[in-house]
Amino acid sequence: MSITPFMNEPALELRRAEVRARATAALEALDARLPLDVPVLIGADERAGEAFDSVDPAQPSRVVARVQGASAAQADEAVRVATAAQPAWAERTHHERAEIVRRAAALLRSRRLEAAALALRECGKPWAEADADVGEAIDFLEYYALSAAALDDGRPLLQMPGERNALRYVGRGVAAVIAPWNFPLAIPTGMVSAALVTGNAVVLKPAEQSPACGDLIVRTLHDAGVPRDVLHLLPGGDEPGRALVAHPLVHTIAFTGSCAAGLSILSEAAKVGPEQGHLKKVVAEMGGKNCIIVDADADLDDAVPGILKSAFAFAGQKCSAASRVLVHEAIADELVARLKGAVDTLVVGPPEAFGTDVPPVIDPEAQERIARYTQLGGTPAATVDVPEEGFYAAPALFVDLPKDSPVVTDEIFGPVLSVERVRDVDHGLQEMERSRFALTGGLYSRSPATIAAVERRAPVGNLYVNQPCTGAMVGRQPFGGGRLSGTGPKAGGPDYLLQFVEARSVSEDTVRHGVLG
Amino acid sequence: MATTLEPAPDLAPAIDRVGRRLAAALPSGRTPKALAERALMGRLMDDPALRAAIFRFVDVRPACRDERDVARHLGELLAQAEGSALGQRGARMATRRTTRAATAGVAALGVRGMAHRFIVGEDAASSVPGVEKLWRSGAAATVDLLGETTVTEAEADSYAARCAETLRTLQAAAARWPSQPLLERDAAGPIPRVNLSVKVSALTPHLHPNDPERGIAGAADRLRGLLRVARDTGAHLHVDMESFDTREAITELTLRLLSEPEFRAGPSAGIVLQGYLVESPDHLERLLDWAQARDAEQPFTIRLVKGAYWDHEMIEAARHGWSSPVIDGRRACDRNYEALSRRLIDATATGKVRAAIASHNLRSIAHAAAYADARGADIEFQVLRGLGDDTLKALVADGRRVRCYCPLGDIVAGMSYLVRRLLENTSNDSFLSAQASGADIDTLLEAP
Repeated sequence: MSITPFMNEPALELRRAEVRARATAALEALDARLPLDVPVLIGADERAGEAFDSVDPAQPSRVVARVQGASAAQADEAVRVATAAQPAWAERTHHERAEIVRRAAALLRSRRLEAAALALRECGKPWAEADADVGEAIDFLEYYALSAAALDDGRPLLQMPGERNALRYVGRGVAAVIAPWNFPLAIPTGMVSAALVTGNAVVLKPAEQSPACGDLIVRTLHDAGVPRDVLHLLPGGDEPGRALVAHPLVHTIAFTGSCAAGLSILSEAAKVGPEQGHLKKVVAEMGGKNCIIVDADADLDDAVPGILKSAFAFAGQKCSAASRVLVHEAIADELVARLKGAVDTLVVGPPEAFGTDVPPVIDPEAQERIARYTQLGGTPAATVDVPEEGFYAAPALFVDLPKDSPVVTDEIFGPVLSVERVRDVDHGLQEMERSRFALTGGLYSRSPATIAAVERRAPVGNLYVNQPCTGAMVGRQPFGGGRLSGTGPKAGGPDYLLQFVEARSVSEDTVRHGVLG
Repeated sequence: MATTLEPAPDLAPAIDRVGRRLAAALPSGRTPKALAERALMGRLMDDPALRAAIFRFVDVRPACRDERDVARHLGELLAQAEGSALGQRGARMATRRTTRAATAGVAALGVRGMAHRFIVGEDAASSVPGVEKLWRSGAAATVDLLGETTVTEAEADSYAARCAETLRTLQAAAARWPSQPLLERDAAGPIPRVNLSVKVSALTPHLHPNDPERGIAGAADRLRGLLRVARDTGAHLHVDMESFDTREAITELTLRLLSEPEFRAGPSAGIVLQGYLVESPDHLERLLDWAQARDAEQPFTIRLVKGAYWDHEMIEAARHGWSSPVIDGRRACDRNYEALSRRLIDATATGKVRAAIASHNLRSIAHAAAYADARGADIEFQVLRGLGDDTLKALVADGRRVRCYCPLGDIVAGMSYLVRRLLENTSNDSFLSAQASGADIDTLLEAP
C-alpha cells in the first residue's frame, strides 16, 4: 500500500465572497431540515429513550435536534453488543480498518459544509471555527489511519540467532468515549477513530449539548464500513456516562472535558467490579488555566490581536484558551491600554455572522458561571454589551487582580481574561509554575535566548511562541497537557494510538536440532 | 478585454530605445556610499542566514531599552545565523564586553541610517523640506503615514487626525512652491500638488477578512472625513492596497464613498491595483467600469504596482492549504504587469482615468513609457523613496512625470515598512538586486 504523506485538510477560504455564499446556503439547507432526530443507536437498532431537545445557543427557541437520551440499561446493552463484536473487528488487519476510517474521512469531506453548519447551530461555533472543527475531524481520521498502518508493523527488536522476537499492538477491547461539546465533531471523531482503527469496539456518549454532531460522526463511520455492532451511540446526560465508566466490560475510557468530571472518572475507573477481569485505562484531557507571557521586547502589534484571539474566540470555550496574560512591567501600561481598546472593538453576536468575534456560550449554566466569576473580579477594565436573546456572556478584561482572586486561579471556560504584571520573564515562568494546570502556554518575545529559556522551562503541554495559544493542528502540534490538565496523551501526534492498544511481545525459538530456522 | 497579453511586436524597438535612454540617465552609482550599500545588499543576498538575522534585528531594534539590550538582541540573533561566518563574527563582537558597546552603537546607527533613507520625516512638519526638495528637482510626492497596527478606535482616530494634519501642513507649504507645469497638469486636467496615501487598515480596527462589511462600516466615517479635507484643501487622496485579506473591503469602501454625491466635484482620488494578484485583470476591469460610469469632475487615478506582500501571501496560502492568490514566478508576474499597463493606459483615453505606473523594474517602466508614447497617452510614474531614487532621477531627466512615495513616521513605526522594503530589495527575484549586481542592459530590458 502506498502511503501518501499526511497533509492537513485545507480550511474554507472564507475571505472569498463565493465561499461565504456557499457556507450560508449550506446553513439555510440545514435550517430547513431542523429539528433533526437523534435516537439511541445500539447495533442496527434505533431506540427511544428519555426525550430532550438540543437547542441553538444563539436562539434557544430553535430546536436543533429532538434527542432520545439513553438509560443505564441501554448503556449496558450497548457495551455487551460491542463486547461480542469486538474480537472479529480486532481480527481484521490494521490496514483494513485504516481503509474504512479513510473512507469516513472522504465522506465527511463530501459533507463538509453541512457538518460545519450543524456545529454552528448546535454549539454556537462561528463559521471559521466550525469549519476548523470539521477540518480537524477529517485530519484525525486521515492521521490515525496512517498511524495505524505504521503501528501494524510493530517495533524493531533485537534479534539473536535462533530467536524470532516481535512486538505487536492489539486493541484493548471496548472503549467508552465521553466527549465534550466545544469541539463537537473533532474531539469525538479523534477519540472514536483512534479506538476503532486500533481494533477496539466503541460506545460514544456525546456531550448532552451536542448529540446531533455525535450522531453525524457515528453515521459517517457506519456508512464508511464500520460494522453497526462495533460502534454505538448513547446520547444523553450523566446517566449513560456514569453507566459506561462503571461498566465491568469497558476496557478503555477516553474522556475530554472538565477537570472535576475527569477526576471523578479516574477514581471510579480504578474500582474493579465482580464481572471484571482487567484494569481500566483512562485517557483524559481536562482543563487549563493558560498563561501568555509577554516580554518587554514583544511586538505588541502581534501580541494584542494574538491575545484577543486566544482569549475571546469562541467565547473562550476552549481548554487551550488564554485566561491570564503575564506582562513585563516595562510595557504593561502600553499593553493594557491597547488591550482595553481592542476588547472594546470585539463584536459579540450570532455565529452565522461572518464578522462575529464572540458568539454565545453553550448554555444558561455556562452563562451563570461566567457571570459569577465576572462579579468576583469586580469591575472589568473593559467589557462589551451583548444581545438580549441567546446565551451570551459579556467578554471581560481584568487588570492587576490579587493573585488569589478566583478569576486568576480557576478555570472559567468563558470570555474572561486577566492581565498581571510581572518583573520579567522569569517571574512569569514562576507564575506559570504555580498553576495546577499545564495545558497550553504562550510567549511573545523577540529574543532567541528568552524563547529558548521558556521552551526549556515552561511546564505546559503545548507552548506557542509569537502566535495565539489555541488552534493546535493535527500532525503539527500534538495536543495535550500534564498535571491536572490530563493524563498526557498527545492527540493528533505520533504516540496517540498507543493509548488504545496493548503491546504483545512474542519470542519463538527457531532452532530445531541445531538447525537455525 | 481589449488588450492582448502580448505587446505588439512593433513596440520592441521603442521599449529598447526608452530603456537605454533611462539606463544612460541613471546616476553612475559609483559614490563610496552607493558602492558600500551595494556591497552590503549583495552580501545579504548571498547569505540568507545573515539576511534573516539582520532583518530580525532591524525589526526588534526599536523595542530595545538601552545599548546593552541592543547588543544582547544583536548577539543572540547573529548567533542564530549558524552557517554565516560573518554572522558568527558579529555575534562574538556583540557579546564580548570590550566590543559590545561599539557594536551596538554601530548597529543602532546603521538601522537609523537605513530608516532615514526610506523615511522622509518623523511628522508632517519635518517632512516638508524633503517633499519640497523633490518638487524643486522636478518630481512630485505622495506621502504615507507609517504607524502601528490599528487595534483600537483611538488608534484609528489618531491616524485619521495625523492624516488630516499632514494634508493641511503640506497644502500650506505647497502654496509657496514654484510652478512645475509638468507636475501640475496633464491631458485630463490639473493635478493637485499635495498627494497623500492612506491605509484603510489604519482607519479602523474592524477590518476582518471574512466580513468586508464590518471593515467598511468601521472605516467609512474616517475615510469620508479625509476625503472632505482633501477636497477642501485641493489635495489628492490615494487609497493604498494591502494584503489580500483586505482587498475586497478596501476596494468596495473606496468606490462606494467616491460615488457619494458630495465627492462628485472632488477631491482627486485613486486606488491601487496589485499586478501580482491572479485576479488582477478582472479587478482592473471592475475599477475601469466603475470609473467610466462615474459622474465626477476629476479623473480617478489607478496606481499599478507589483505588490509588496508576495511572501506573506504565499506563506498564508500554504499554511491554510489554499491556492495562492499571487502569481508565482517573476516572469509571469512581469508579463501580467505589462498587460495591465497597456489596458490601463488605453483606458486613459476617455479622460476619466489616470494611470500611474509604479515600478522600479526598468523593463516595466520602459514598456509603459513606450506604449504610452505610442498611444499619445499622458501618464505618471511612481517610485519609492530610498529604493527608486536613481530611477526617479532618470525619469525626470527623460522629461517624464514622476512621483515619489514618501513614508513619514517615527523609527518604531517605520521598522515593518523598512523590513518589507529590504526583503523586496534583496530577494533573488528583485529587479533592483539584478541591477545592483551589474546585469547588463540587454538582460535588464529582456521581455518577460
